[in-house]
Amino acid sequence: MILEGPLQVMASIQDSVGETWDHYVALQQVWEENQGLKRKIQELQGEQNRLLEQAILAMEFQKLSLYQETAPLVTMPARIIGRNVSNWYRAMVIDKGTRDGIRAEMGVITNAGVVGRVVRVNHATSIVLLLSDPNVAITGMIQTSRDEGIIQGTPQGTIQMKYLPPLSPVQVGDAVVTSGLTDDFPRGLHIGKIQQVTKAATDLFQSGDITPIVDFPKLEGVLVITSFQPPNTTESPPSIDTLPAPSGSP
Amino acid sequence: MIILLHIVLCVGTVVAQATISSWLSINSMYPDLCLVLACLAGFLTNEYKGLLMGLTVGLFQDLLSPGGIGLNMILKGLAGSLAGATTHTISTVTVPAVVMVTLVLSLVCGLASLLMAYPALDGAETFHAISRILAPQALYQSVLAAGIFWLTHKIRQSLSVVHFAQGRR
Repeated sequence: MILEGPLQVMASIQDSVGETWDHYVALQQVWEENQGLKRKIQELQGEQNRLLEQAILAMEFQKLSLYQETAPLVTMPARIIGRNVSNWYRAMVIDKGTRDGIRAEMGVITNAGVVGRVVRVNHATSIVLLLSDPNVAITGMIQTSRDEGIIQGTPQGTIQMKYLPPLSPVQVGDAVVTSGLTDDFPRGLHIGKIQQVTKAATDLFQSGDITPIVDFPKLEGVLVITSFQPPNTTESPPSIDTLPAPSGSP
Repeated sequence: MIILLHIVLCVGTVVAQATISSWLSINSMYPDLCLVLACLAGFLTNEYKGLLMGLTVGLFQDLLSPGGIGLNMILKGLAGSLAGATTHTISTVTVPAVVMVTLVLSLVCGLASLLMAYPALDGAETFHAISRILAPQALYQSVLAAGIFWLTHKIRQSLSVVHFAQGRR
């Protein structure tokens, strides 16, 4: 009876001390654990971001690889490692050079379409001039009407199709593909779509602005065309005797 | 050792130009970091070091650009040399002086590069290139060079104060 009061007081003191210990002093360990977990989360977020980046890059190269396997061309995949070293050229640097068999004037494409042309080759790197640069010109044609013209970049960074025949029925939205008359690109690779057709009254030819199919600033990987079977333009035309006779002729 | 440091600086600048210059671009206008480096080398040292730094960084830039080898080397070498020569013509190289000289050198180098890259430009296209690209770019480069010059000047001053204080002790 005499001891009950002090015991209760002692018990309550013990409880409050224990509670304080558990909730405050022992929390130091929890705080350290919390800091450790935060660090771990940051590490995992960094790792996740790295893996995501690798996955996106792998997907892009997988698309290129699939195209590489199915396209009737011999191509070499290359990664873009730099852009616009000089202000006056629209160019990019790829990680393949003479040691990989790259030569100047080779065409550069993606699974979407034409990118540009190799203009300089170093030992381990090459410089690719984009289609939007005025120093690049390739032959192209309207996919539906088969009218041919010259595709060239402009100083403003757009792409134009020049020297279209005056009577060509070219329309906005028509697809433009390579015509295969030059040695660097085979016939039928997608270049873009006609955005605007212009023909002044005094002009001999029509011209059109092209929206490129390839988004140049977002490119991360490309394919360099190392070999393809160009159309044999040196072959002599068939003689009149070998042509099939028109139906109904005697 | 100093030569190695200069080469590393030149290579680093060209790599930065090829990779991270897009971060510095304003309205699709890229600063020519190599020209800025050549001019700063001239302003902060003398015309000979400016010339050497300009030639080196220009050569590395030529190796990674589609134009002919030698153009950037000559232009950057001249820019570094002329920037260095201004340290003799004016008593103290100030930030406004850096802005003015870099602006003029950027305009001249840019115009030469433009004419070499696109010799067949007509009048309207040339006017467009100068007014929309060349002039704003030259202004941007001159402000960038002045900013780095000011920063370097401040660091040098603080270092010299530390040396002076250590000498007094």
